[in-house]
Amino acid sequence: MAVASPLVSARTVEANEFPELSTRFGVQGVPRIVVNELGAFVGALPEPQFVDAVLQLAGVKSEA
Amino acid sequence: MAILTDQVRQQVQERFAEQLSGPVQLTLYTRPGSGRLILPSGMGCRTCDDARQLVEDLQHAAPDLINLDVIDVSVQEADVREVPTLMLAWPGEASRIRWLGLPAGYEFATVVDAVERVSSGGHGLSEATVEALSRLTEPVDVMVFATPT
Repeated sequence: MAVASPLVSARTVEANEFPELSTRFGVQGVPRIVVNELGAFVGALPEPQFVDAVLQLAGVKSEA
Repeated sequence: MAILTDQVRQQVQERFAEQLSGPVQLTLYTRPGSGRLILPSGMGCRTCDDARQLVEDLQHAAPDLINLDVIDVSVQEADVREVPTLMLAWPGEASRIRWLGLPAGYEFATVVDAVERVSSGGHGLSEATVEALSRLTEPVDVMVFATPT
């Protein structure tokens, strides 16, 4: 997604190496996806659902 | 100690020869390493040496197209708190793709994949996804917490 859109930035965090970050973002299971450091979901979703979930958490309205 | 086996190194080299077309910039932020398992906060770095070897192996797999800078945050000021942090970017552009921690195991495959995507510009996403992303008007930050298994 970060390759496709200049507005997307992506960070992969090795959860065990950064326990402070994991605690701060409530990581109990992986993969945990945190959007704009606020909303989050857990699990590897298929592409369409993943994109929907990210955009929804980013406050982007679904298509009209 | 080599991180990648000769076989994996060879595979990466072959993939890069096929897939890479444009230049990419890799920047690794490190601190001097330490073998100690438990370190006072802000001291040393347990996985920095391994991370450095790993990205050096990557760079050596396509030295003409991959530029690697290694920045020691204990010497050089950087806007990076966590080490090791690996940043991937198009040359001259700010990085929007990062790995915090040693990208080992499955995460290593995601680095190889991302290097190929940035180099070729091929995101591999569906048209529907590209359309959905075009509705973005503000920057979005996506963090993925993972473990290297």
